[in-house]
Amino acid sequence: MARLANLETEYPVLDSTVRNFCASHGIFSAAFAEQNDSSERLKEGIAQVLSIIDDMHQPWLNGMELLEDAKRNKHVFPTGIQGIDLLLGDGIRVGQLTELVGPSSSGKTQVCLRTASNVARNHMVLYLDTGNSFSPQCIAYFLGKTISPSSAQAKNQFLQKVMSNISCHSVFDIFAMFDVLHQLESYLRCQDGRGCCQMRLLIVDSISSLISPVLGSSSTLGRALMTSAGYLLKKLAHQHNLAVLIINHTVGGEGGSSKPALGDSWKCIPHSRLFLSCDRGSNTYNVSILRHPSMASVKAARFVI
Amino acid sequence: MEIWRLPISASQRGKLISAGYTSLSSLSSISSSDLARELNVSESEAMNILKVASHSRGSETSNASCSIVEVLDTFQWWAGAQSAWDMLHDEESLMHITTSSADLDNILGGGIHCKEVTEIGGVPGIGKTQLGIQIAVNVQIPNDFGGLGGNSIYIDTEGSFMVERAFQIAEACIEDMSEYNRFLRKDFQECKIKMQPQDILENIFYFRICSYTEQIALINYLDKFLSEHKDVKVIVVDSVTFHFRQDFDDMALRTRVLSGMALKLMNLAKRFSLAVVLLNQVTTKHTEASFQLALALGDSWSHTCTNRIVLYWNGNERYAYIDKSPSLRSA
Repeated sequence: MARLANLETEYPVLDSTVRNFCASHGIFSAAFAEQNDSSERLKEGIAQVLSIIDDMHQPWLNGMELLEDAKRNKHVFPTGIQGIDLLLGDGIRVGQLTELVGPSSSGKTQVCLRTASNVARNHMVLYLDTGNSFSPQCIAYFLGKTISPSSAQAKNQFLQKVMSNISCHSVFDIFAMFDVLHQLESYLRCQDGRGCCQMRLLIVDSISSLISPVLGSSSTLGRALMTSAGYLLKKLAHQHNLAVLIINHTVGGEGGSSKPALGDSWKCIPHSRLFLSCDRGSNTYNVSILRHPSMASVKAARFVI
Repeated sequence: MEIWRLPISASQRGKLISAGYTSLSSLSSISSSDLARELNVSESEAMNILKVASHSRGSETSNASCSIVEVLDTFQWWAGAQSAWDMLHDEESLMHITTSSADLDNILGGGIHCKEVTEIGGVPGIGKTQLGIQIAVNVQIPNDFGGLGGNSIYIDTEGSFMVERAFQIAEACIEDMSEYNRFLRKDFQECKIKMQPQDILENIFYFRICSYTEQIALINYLDKFLSEHKDVKVIVVDSVTFHFRQDFDDMALRTRVLSGMALKLMNLAKRFSLAVVLLNQVTTKHTEASFQLALALGDSWSHTCTNRIVLYWNGNERYAYIDKSPSLRSA
């Protein structure tokens, strides 16, 4: 919220009398403006401030508009893994935050890579990597499996076209991630409305390694950063029609069972949560739903990558 | 973007918010002397705050007006972002560090990968330190023989680095190289081995640390060290968990410190294109009435490395298996 003094250059009605009046009531910025029935001049000033506030928040939508938006923009992307697609009813949804939780080496990165390679055929993908575990060979392998055998050159061209749609960025602390997300937001604002290949999938692998260094100390900054990261991701998902996939890991809970990291405050932020685990011997993976807007919880499935 | 997302100190943040500055746009049109006066801070502090704020805002304003052509270009222009296609080609040209054991190299896909953090764990006495020393020596194999020709950093927390053993390993390595040379290049008489064991030992930078604060300080210092010594290609830490296991009262602090350390090591690996090898101890985990060996420090630590190899005894022989890897199968 801009300070009133700075806004004077844009809106000359907010001259010093208005500002002094506001200052005497403890109003220093537009965030604290309130209605008042004094002189006309002050009323004008306050009305102007309120209209500035109105411009800053989202427009009101009614139910029909939301439904239309959902039908037109909020598609579902299949992950390419049959078990998960069946479990989720066709795949991950645009406009929602999906979280993959699981102990170490339970296949979370593989699921993300598979989904990325599937979505990249027609749309752009951004992969934020904190552990240098983005593997282009895996993506090439998944893509190679899905196309019919043809000449090596055609295959190469196909690989190049699809893999150029995937952009991988390494982030190693949470402030860097905020920077990247803000750049992404301004990029998407320019891009919305153009017909060309648009970004539809954002993967963060893994958000827990970014948040653990700041969470839990005596200041509350860590938790504030965590919730604001969650809200920023949800806002990006909804306003710019992205599907967001994030990876979390598990910590030991009571009685030796594992529970998702990042605690209870994080629990309600993602729209859907999937728990993955791996059977060491047989190389199959189990996935079960912890939370989903439209599927029953505790459903489980198995799959092989 | 909100003020409290900036990396500034808590007291500065408090002053900014109580003076009415809650977002970055409000800081855009004010000079540093005005800001210093309003917040009651020194001029240099105010300039610092404005610098941090404008740095974060700079990326936003530059995208304010863009044409279609620019849009497609700016996507890849983000600092550090690379398309998967480019990365595939980069990876094919990355070399691996051989571990001198053909089977281990096989399951690793050629050796230890650069730009990744590899964790090697095992019971005491299985040879982790030896493996660490071997890797520190092997990285110095010159390019002609398929090595990386780089230096190495050895960080010792337990005091188990024996110089005499390293000397033996270096000698054996050179013998290997000259045999290889004779075997393959019978007609190239000029390719003589110019390396002596002393040279190899000279290129290992050794740090001994005795407490966890020293460990954290060293990792922070490595940033500067690596910018000066660009030839370093591997960092071996033996063992990374030693100072964190006993006598650590505050578990939350331990988690925070460890994950911060892991992120910094990842950052170093990626920026300077080197391999990071962490040696770890094992502990027993009690699950379902049976005892199972698991690497120390628990789930949150095991999440932070890129690859993990576990060494174990089977009868009289040593075995290794890959526990976690983004691109290799379990073996």
